[in-house]
Amino acid sequence: MATATPTYRLTEDQAALRDAVRILADEQIAPRAAEIDRTAEFPWDVKELLASHDVLALPFPEAHGGLGGDLLTVCVAIEQISRVCATSGLILAVQELASLPLLLAGTEEQQARWLPDLAAGRTLVAFALTEAEAGSDVAAARTRARRDAATGDWLIDGSKRFISQGSVADLLTVFAVTAEDDDTPRRQRLSCFIVEKDAPGFAVERIEHKMGIRGSPTAELSFRGVRVPDANRIGEVGQGFELAMRTFERSRPGIAAQAVGIAQGALEVAAGYARDRKQFGRPIAEFQMIGAMLADMDAQTEAARQLLYKACAEIEAGAPDAGRWSAMCKLVAGDTAMRVTTDAVQVLGGYGYVDEFPVERMMRDAKITQLYEGTQQIQRLVIARALTGSR
Amino acid sequence: MAPEAPGAIWVHGETTGDGSLARISTEVATLARSLGGASGREVVGIVVAADPGNAADELARYLPRVLTVAEPATADHAAAAIVGQRIAALVERERPGYLFAGAGPEGRDVAGVVSALTGWGVLVNATAVRWEDGPVVEMSVFGGKLNTTSRFTGDHGIVTVRPNVVTAAAAASGGTVEPTSVEGDLGLPLVPIVERVAAETAAAPIEEARVIVSGGRGVGGPEGFRVVQELAEALGGAVGATRAAVDAGWIPYAQQIGQTGKIVKPSLYLALGISGAIQHKVGMQTAETIVAVNRDPDAPIAEFADLVVIGDLFEVAPAILAALRERAG
Amino acid sequence: MRIVVLVKPVPDTASGGERLRPADWRLDRAATPAVVNANDEYALEAGLKLTEAHGGEVTLVTMAGSAAPETLRKALAMGASSGTLITDDALGGSDTVSTARVLADELRGLEFDLLLAGADTSDGGAGVVPAGVATLLGLPYVSYAAKIEPDPAAGRVRVHRISPTGYDVLEAPMPALVVATQALGEPRYPSLKGIMAARSKTIQTRTLADVAGGATDGLGGAAASNEVVAAEAPPPRAATRVIREPADEAARQVVAFLAERRII
Repeated sequence: MATATPTYRLTEDQAALRDAVRILADEQIAPRAAEIDRTAEFPWDVKELLASHDVLALPFPEAHGGLGGDLLTVCVAIEQISRVCATSGLILAVQELASLPLLLAGTEEQQARWLPDLAAGRTLVAFALTEAEAGSDVAAARTRARRDAATGDWLIDGSKRFISQGSVADLLTVFAVTAEDDDTPRRQRLSCFIVEKDAPGFAVERIEHKMGIRGSPTAELSFRGVRVPDANRIGEVGQGFELAMRTFERSRPGIAAQAVGIAQGALEVAAGYARDRKQFGRPIAEFQMIGAMLADMDAQTEAARQLLYKACAEIEAGAPDAGRWSAMCKLVAGDTAMRVTTDAVQVLGGYGYVDEFPVERMMRDAKITQLYEGTQQIQRLVIARALTGSR
Repeated sequence: MAPEAPGAIWVHGETTGDGSLARISTEVATLARSLGGASGREVVGIVVAADPGNAADELARYLPRVLTVAEPATADHAAAAIVGQRIAALVERERPGYLFAGAGPEGRDVAGVVSALTGWGVLVNATAVRWEDGPVVEMSVFGGKLNTTSRFTGDHGIVTVRPNVVTAAAAASGGTVEPTSVEGDLGLPLVPIVERVAAETAAAPIEEARVIVSGGRGVGGPEGFRVVQELAEALGGAVGATRAAVDAGWIPYAQQIGQTGKIVKPSLYLALGISGAIQHKVGMQTAETIVAVNRDPDAPIAEFADLVVIGDLFEVAPAILAALRERAG
Repeated sequence: MRIVVLVKPVPDTASGGERLRPADWRLDRAATPAVVNANDEYALEAGLKLTEAHGGEVTLVTMAGSAAPETLRKALAMGASSGTLITDDALGGSDTVSTARVLADELRGLEFDLLLAGADTSDGGAGVVPAGVATLLGLPYVSYAAKIEPDPAAGRVRVHRISPTGYDVLEAPMPALVVATQALGEPRYPSLKGIMAARSKTIQTRTLADVAGGATDGLGGAAASNEVVAAEAPPPRAATRVIREPADEAARQVVAFLAERRII
């Protein structure tokens, strides 16, 4: 049963890919990062860059024009981009997240219909699950999809809140209640649909003004009698909740990757600053309190990274406790990013608080990784349940 | 033709486009002569060219004996394969012990051909050679981080010698020039030269220059290289450049110094607007004296130069020019 | 067109970790990460551009230690179709004579229009192997190429060869061996597509016996024609003297320094 233990190292092509994305990020995305944050405008140029360099093709199967990257490969790419710009890293992460239901449960015909454009980066897709009254409590969603008996179409009514890139997406992966009555068990009440943005009745109501990832538009969406054919339903009726959970297993590492990237970026700025900044006649890097902070930041970021990589390997290998791995890596990475970026601001002192240096932005960006894709508290619930079996 | 004394030291006399002797061959010949003195072995030059007379006469100022082979094909064909074959045939006939050549582009090609035909090993890019029962060759490796000493395991070999590591010195009395011929067809395919194109700024091989004034990114453009050129002229040297300047199209690749350009060892390397990154450093860090002008006190070159001026090269370089002229005048 | 490129993994100069093994003064190839020799990348890029223009494939041939496949992945990711790695413990410490002979033995069994090589390697700097390979194979040899223009229909290749006065235009029949220089153009970054596609490309390994059959005499490290007998760091340079004075005063000090050193 035991095969040769793979070494805990990236494969040659994963390392080559990491280096290639890093160069792209450093040369072409990093110079834009501050401006993206300041203007809070979605960086269409970065999206084009990622599309034209086939970065957005990574999560998709080769059969549909993708590069067939495994979960770890996709996360390595997200990490490298997020190092310089969390908003930009999110473009890849969201493209993966919102495509997952289609990848996991779509029919041949559905995949052939939508995946090629997604892989080419010609279309963007967003994940519309969260509602004003249904955040952590996913099953409490109220957006409804009613079957039109005559045509077999579905009519969707309701609204979604906090949808990342909801206003720039061409496709929305929407979760709506299809259960006919209140007796249906909570976890079988939802179904999943692909809605195209120009469907009549669909509207972007507003964009949030956020603390961080300001270039990524977070939208409130409304659905008023939006008609979708049954051919746009992904998976079985009532399978929506399960699909969402299976999606999170693979998408949470993507957020963990974003968090590790943010932490790494902050660490590099802080370390570079400490080497150059002289006080009391010496670089502050020589003072032990600074050195200790940097050491902890580095060790914690590395620990988060290694847990992420291991989680990806386990999830990709079909481990039965994939949910636990997924929750753990997201939990640790998110908390690490917050801690490391806060310390990075501290290392830079006053300069860390002003926008002359990117660490204040990185700290604001880091916070979201403790909130979305399941709050840290939800991650802990998942882990505790896996550990103790309690519900 | 009387056979050479076994184990003679031979010197390949390189010719330039106009048939004259390449400067590096005068340096290699001087070195070989001193090895001949130390070893008691005969030292012989060998020139293979369409019309070897001029080059041979010049080489005979440095060596007691020079053999020549007239090979018309070298006039308008790639020369290395032709020269190498003739030298290898002579080696076969005359049985010398060692062949010394210059480590520049032509010498290197000839060394490669002769090595393949004779099976002799090659020690390349020598920075010094002494004699201890065979040549003992010093080389600078890893971009100047290490000096190694090597020798041949047998009693034959080819040594290529870097430019500028020996000062050419004519012998006390001139040597003889002996035309000889080699029988047999040239087995390797001939590659005709269909055209020779002269560049706007034809320069002597930069590896031979004793003084190099180099410009980097800080020079800012082709016009900026004018002051580099003037300073080079005032110091009697050549103009060099970093990869950045070449990639930007400010100066031809032939003048690039560094890992993918030339390796140089001048007496003076004057670096203007050059940061000193490793890919450039490995091309020049063994220069005897390194002087740099840079606006950035933290540039890497400030750590290994002998003298660094923190300032704007467009102010400092003209000032140096003026000071040099004042000193001369 | 069928193009073969000779590539060599060498220690990464940027890492600064190159060193010799104290036991035998051979290059310690485990000490630093290996990369494809910079000059070979120009040869590879030239080959890829030519196959893009004329059709065909670029394949790699390398003689190196067994860790080489990782280094070759980048070359495959750039677009080479496949590679052959000649690797054998006996080949460690090979000199240029042996290297040229082993490569020639392998190449004798291949068909190609162009054989490309880089100008020299950053780990030995010899630059004599390509000339040796061409001689052993009886191939037309053109070095220091700044431009390579094949005419596959006519079976000839036109090459601009850098000369001290500019460049010479040479015309050789194909197959020919051409040595590449930086002037041929920047090597491409591997695209993500190329990196992912490289996963399914093959690197075939061949031992010394595979290549040379029974005729392994005089090949490999044991038959090396030269050996290192000593190695030491060069004497350290004196501490840098820094001048921060205004231009005129600085210039005076520079000229005095040069006079002191008898350079002027």
